[in-house]
Amino acid sequence: MILVPVTYKGGIYQHDEIIDLIEDLGGYIIQKHIIATEVVLQALVPKEDIELIQRIGKPLTGELTPSPLVGTEIAVVSMSLEIHHLPHASCDLAEYIRRFGAKTNMVGLARGFGKRIAQLNDEERDVINEHDLAVYLLGNFETCIEQKFGVLRRGIDIPIVVCGGPSRESLQEIIDPPVDGYVGNVGRFMHRTKESEELDKLEEVVGEITRVLDRRREDLAKDPLSISPARLMDTINEKVDAIHEVLSPTPITVQMAGLRVKLPYDQYARILKDLVIEEDVTIGDIVDIHPSRMRDYILLKVRPFSETNIMV
Amino acid sequence: MASIEYFEVECPEKTGGRYYQRIADVVLLDHNLIRVIRKIHFFIDPRVPIFVAVGITRKMPGPVRLRDFSDVSVQDDKVTISIGDETYLAKLLESLWDIFGKERVEQPDRFTVVITAGTDETKDLEDLVVDDPSLSIYKDLIYALQVIQPEGFKVRRQYYGDGRFYLVASEDTLPEDIDDLVREKFALLEESP
Repeated sequence: MILVPVTYKGGIYQHDEIIDLIEDLGGYIIQKHIIATEVVLQALVPKEDIELIQRIGKPLTGELTPSPLVGTEIAVVSMSLEIHHLPHASCDLAEYIRRFGAKTNMVGLARGFGKRIAQLNDEERDVINEHDLAVYLLGNFETCIEQKFGVLRRGIDIPIVVCGGPSRESLQEIIDPPVDGYVGNVGRFMHRTKESEELDKLEEVVGEITRVLDRRREDLAKDPLSISPARLMDTINEKVDAIHEVLSPTPITVQMAGLRVKLPYDQYARILKDLVIEEDVTIGDIVDIHPSRMRDYILLKVRPFSETNIMV
Repeated sequence: MASIEYFEVECPEKTGGRYYQRIADVVLLDHNLIRVIRKIHFFIDPRVPIFVAVGITRKMPGPVRLRDFSDVSVQDDKVTISIGDETYLAKLLESLWDIFGKERVEQPDRFTVVITAGTDETKDLEDLVVDDPSLSIYKDLIYALQVIQPEGFKVRRQYYGDGRFYLVASEDTLPEDIDDLVREKFALLEESP
């Protein structure tokens, strides 16, 4: 069964039916938002059942759109959280990526600004590394990007997409060793992105992210995970009651190869480790459990089949 | 609204310079400074790195007096002020409280202020200076230039006086010949029509 990431938008009336349907078909609800009288569901659904969901959703004014980034957690790395970079361009971009289903976290560097003085500390490095992909929002000058980017990428081992003022070709030329994605002409700006060519640029960023993540998905498919992160989320939701007490919008954030569980590590790491998924397979058998550098959350990294020899 | 007569961004990196032109334009517009500045020249060299902004302001608008935005009518020992423009209301109330005390200043509705005071005290009331925009323009101008400049430039020097202003910033110690550079950029402004 191939699961496809989609977004369902529809009226609040009888939306439970759609949730039940997706779950009965073997899909997973990753995130649910209720905005006034509208429900937005981000879900992974079986490819062959898309039409069925569309048909049942139609009388409920439901609309199903493909969202390539559902089930990914992306770090939008801003050089600082000062007015120079916020709310435009950092928030504009983070919000736009969110529309395609990704969970974006903004990482504002403490000392990301400047050419000579820019630096990345260990906490920032570790927080960025917990994501599936990092989007670096750099400035407008080639000279600065060339000098500072080496420092800002030090120790980052996840795919990087660089956005900057110079053209894509210039970025490719000055960044050495190369990164996974480049988007030119998106540097520092102080106005809201609302004109069509600016929106096209944001679209280009999303396109680049999707391309990089698709490649990562292909790599993952070569050595499949022992359990799909969405299924793991479902198990935790079902068996750990405390997760329903968490007030965060996504108590469990789904990543491409793991989960971020927003429960305190000290109290719940052991409970999660011993949780039975199926018959005699526990989470501890197929998942590495680490404390997250983000608050006291728990980070689960699913091990591949080649390591565990278990597939659930 | 009057526009800026001379507005240039000089930068060895063409693309970067173009972006900064837009940034400067948006920031000055957002901070309502377009009508204050007559000429402005930015010089940014990311290789040094250095940021220089020099400019000439227009003649500043004079102080805002009570009669500019309201009607004052005196009846016996009661003065009624009808407000036309609410912008200055907060500052007006503060000034009136200072002069007459809170117990003698009433505001029966949003656009009316009633003062109980003798005619001696209120005879020059219409000429009361409520706000002087030229005092805050300097702060606004420097703040806007700090927003425009690249963020990491924490070493700064700024000046304002006689209708001229400049701000130089860098992330390193400012070069010794910085005054010459500023003079050179001011000369460009003066040459332009």
